[in-house]
Amino acid sequence: MNWNTAVYIVMNPLFALVLSPLVLGLIKTVKARIQGRPGPPVLQQYYQLRKLFHKEIVYSEDSSFIMRLGPYLGIAFMLTASLFVPMVFIPQTGWFGNIILFFYLMITAKFFMVLGGLDAGSTFGGMGSSREMTVSSIIEPVTIMSCAALAFVLKTTSIPEMFRTLLAGSIFSYPTLILVGISLFIILIVESARVPVDNPETHLELTMIHEAMILEQSGPKLALVELASGVRQTVLMALLINVTFPWGLAGLAGCASLLLAAVTMAVKMLILAATVGLFESLLAKIRFFRLPDFFMIALFLSFITIVFELLR
Amino acid sequence: MDFPEFSSGIEDKEAVVQSLFWVGGALCLVATILPLVLLFRPSRLLRQAALWVLLAGTGAISAAAILVISRSLDLHLTLLSITPQLALSFRLDKLSCFFVVIIGAVSFCAVIYSITYIAHYKSERSKQFLTSGLAFFILAMLLVVASSTTFGFLFFWELMSLSSFFLVMFDLDKPETQKAGIFYFAMTQMGTIFLLASFLLLYRFTGSFDISAAGNIPQWGKGLVFVSLFIGFGTKAGIIPFHKWLPYAHSASPSNVSALMSGVMLKVPIYGLVRFIIDVFRPDLWWGIVLLFFGSITALLGIIYAFKEHDLKKMLAYCSIENLGVIVVGLGLYVIFDFYGLRVQADLCIYGALFHTLNHALFKSSLFMTAGSVVQATGTRDIEQMGGLIKRMPGTGAIFLVGACAIAALPPLNGFASEIMIFQAYLTSFSLGRPILEILLMAGLAALALTSTLAAACFAKAFGIIFLARPRSGAASAAKEAPFAQLLAPGILAALCVGFGVFSYQLISNVKSGMPLPDILPIGIIVLVLTGVTFLLLLLTRSPVRKTETWGCGIPSQTGKMEYSGDGFSEPIVTVFKPVFRTRKLSTREFYDKYNSIPRSSSGEIGTLKFFEERLYMPIARFFMKIAGAVSNLHNVDMDALILYSFIAVVLVILGVGWWL
Repeated sequence: MNWNTAVYIVMNPLFALVLSPLVLGLIKTVKARIQGRPGPPVLQQYYQLRKLFHKEIVYSEDSSFIMRLGPYLGIAFMLTASLFVPMVFIPQTGWFGNIILFFYLMITAKFFMVLGGLDAGSTFGGMGSSREMTVSSIIEPVTIMSCAALAFVLKTTSIPEMFRTLLAGSIFSYPTLILVGISLFIILIVESARVPVDNPETHLELTMIHEAMILEQSGPKLALVELASGVRQTVLMALLINVTFPWGLAGLAGCASLLLAAVTMAVKMLILAATVGLFESLLAKIRFFRLPDFFMIALFLSFITIVFELLR
Repeated sequence: MDFPEFSSGIEDKEAVVQSLFWVGGALCLVATILPLVLLFRPSRLLRQAALWVLLAGTGAISAAAILVISRSLDLHLTLLSITPQLALSFRLDKLSCFFVVIIGAVSFCAVIYSITYIAHYKSERSKQFLTSGLAFFILAMLLVVASSTTFGFLFFWELMSLSSFFLVMFDLDKPETQKAGIFYFAMTQMGTIFLLASFLLLYRFTGSFDISAAGNIPQWGKGLVFVSLFIGFGTKAGIIPFHKWLPYAHSASPSNVSALMSGVMLKVPIYGLVRFIIDVFRPDLWWGIVLLFFGSITALLGIIYAFKEHDLKKMLAYCSIENLGVIVVGLGLYVIFDFYGLRVQADLCIYGALFHTLNHALFKSSLFMTAGSVVQATGTRDIEQMGGLIKRMPGTGAIFLVGACAIAALPPLNGFASEIMIFQAYLTSFSLGRPILEILLMAGLAALALTSTLAAACFAKAFGIIFLARPRSGAASAAKEAPFAQLLAPGILAALCVGFGVFSYQLISNVKSGMPLPDILPIGIIVLVLTGVTFLLLLLTRSPVRKTETWGCGIPSQTGKMEYSGDGFSEPIVTVFKPVFRTRKLSTREFYDKYNSIPRSSSGEIGTLKFFEERLYMPIARFFMKIAGAVSNLHNVDMDALILYSFIAVVLVILGVGWWL
């Protein structure tokens, strides 16, 4: 392992970890402004995390080690997955980067969250877990199909390799990627539990998905869960950004270019966050059993991309 | 890798393998006979001794097979030859030994499990038969995959089917078991008939019963043999639509037997498919498409059915159907890629399919064993009656969790390691250059992706409902941890699941280098390190911990009845896949008055259509019943008619003989 990879392994997850509360905060602010409220400060998520880390942990008497272990595994798998999407610079490809492994690491994180939701025996948790698993099962073919579309267009299954190929080309080299981009955007909305799939602000009946599932978590454990979902969102955003607009990524690490790339990435991320906030404000929540129709759009677009690529 | 003690010459090693193989086989036979020696005075000692002998036997045969694989030997052995053509002879090469190792290793663990599992049956007589049957079943399976002639293959295949039939019929007093037995027997015999047909066809074309000689037959005959073999093997492997016996038989039989049937016996037809379709013949493209199509359907429907099931062992059985589907998908893809000369993808698929065969044997038998312990502890197979078992059976719960993660294809465990090989082959198939075929492949890819996450959902449900939260019944709250042997056996298998997952890349590169696969070892290390680091960091916050009741919206005390149930968990997915389940709702109401305002009685019913059973199996069965009825009418006649029958028969025989000569 050379220094380049070492820097990457430390830096990439850290970047996602530090940036994710800001992204969440910005989405909230954008939504509040559109609704005509001032909204919480942009940095509110950081304060929230600090507060949670100082609170006590409350466990249900019915819960087992799954509830205690779940948040650790969740954040560990998410951070490992965040290694797979270069955010600031592209390292010399090593053992990480396989796009399927990336998505499966995220599923693993989710799996333990789902078990955590069932552990306390609360109906909220059960319902949240059940729905979370339903949504993630139905979105999975879409996700894998988008992976296939990316692999077919860019002729590789390694995410860093994909970005490298994209950087070498011009903006018009891979027009079909716009379609994949829309698919990835839908996947982003689904995976980060946002309107129209879920509503991150509430855990009431209509939207009992993600927030209901983590209802029994508390204190620092809740903070870990929040961080894990923040990282999930940030990483998927980074994937979307770099697939559709990779320019600004540093090819090789040097101190100055690294800083520039980090700032560029942060700016792109914030623009995307504002777009997500806008998107959320424009749509109403879709009925739960109508969700497959929504996902079909993404499946269709990925499929079309593959067909285009085959006929080229 | 070099073993100095064995490097003294290839003949020595062959002698070692040969003697280990014979000794192992003989030990298994001894273990079959031993419990039955004192038939009328069942002895606990003999029964236990038989299990230990069986343990030694499976160990010896596995050792022989591992030696063959590591040294790349190719041995031919003959047990007995009736004529030079009809011989019970064996061939130990890498492929057959791979399956021998799977069977041997899983049987080894199943026997360990049986030591205490068998003891819980009431009658000494049944313990005796179970032990003996188990040994015979294991021996038969080992000899099927080692056979080098179609004659021997079919002979041991039938022994395997019959011995497993008797094991399925173990609790023969229950009506459920009788139904399972009839289903199993009828279907497995149907499969055998197709195998017999294809072997006779092969003999007709090649004039030999030797498996490896089957390659040189004309093109049209090859297709016919393939279809017949596919139906024969597919029936045994539970390929949809020939799958119906599987959930019945697995749930009715004792758990150590279902672990063997699901973990191992289903792999024997896979061996047959690989040997005949890929090793012996040179397959056509359409074979691959057939395999891919049926494999995808099987995988997807298998897991969708599993998801709804709340009988624990039936759920596991449906999951076996799913995994067998995934293996067949791998074989089908191999044929397709091989046909177009995509070497890398073809290798990924065939090794992926074989690796998944091994992995499925490991995690599925581990799951069946832990499920058996759970069923034994709670006295029910209905997961809605369980719950909270992780506090009462922590060891069993932890092992089940590992198995569940493996079967749900979660990295870094072994289920993922083999599924990613097939995914990788799909994703890198862009150089195929056949758009129509490619679109077919993409449909298969979407099905496979859906299958693998539904498996995750299914096992999140299974683990959550069985082991987490509060007990849902008195039996569950009184459950006790399983004895040590019943933890050791699935524990070994679960440890292998972790090992084969984390070291999969190293393992695969040892067999075949240059596969485009991710290395999972560093992923495992990083996850472990990150978990440890977060744990330590969280210790620094020194948060106080408090325990309290689960929040129940103000209801003072919650009971197990208020929890989310298994059916509740699966409801959304069942609704999404409504067309597959064909849910039927019937409701009738009667009223006292003609204005329909004073209800007298009403009844409601909700159920799912057992599509294959009601639309495919039963019509065929009814058809045969009708023929049988007509034939039996022919018997109820007077003497004159019977004489007429004999006359017709004699004339036909004379005509037939005359035509033949």
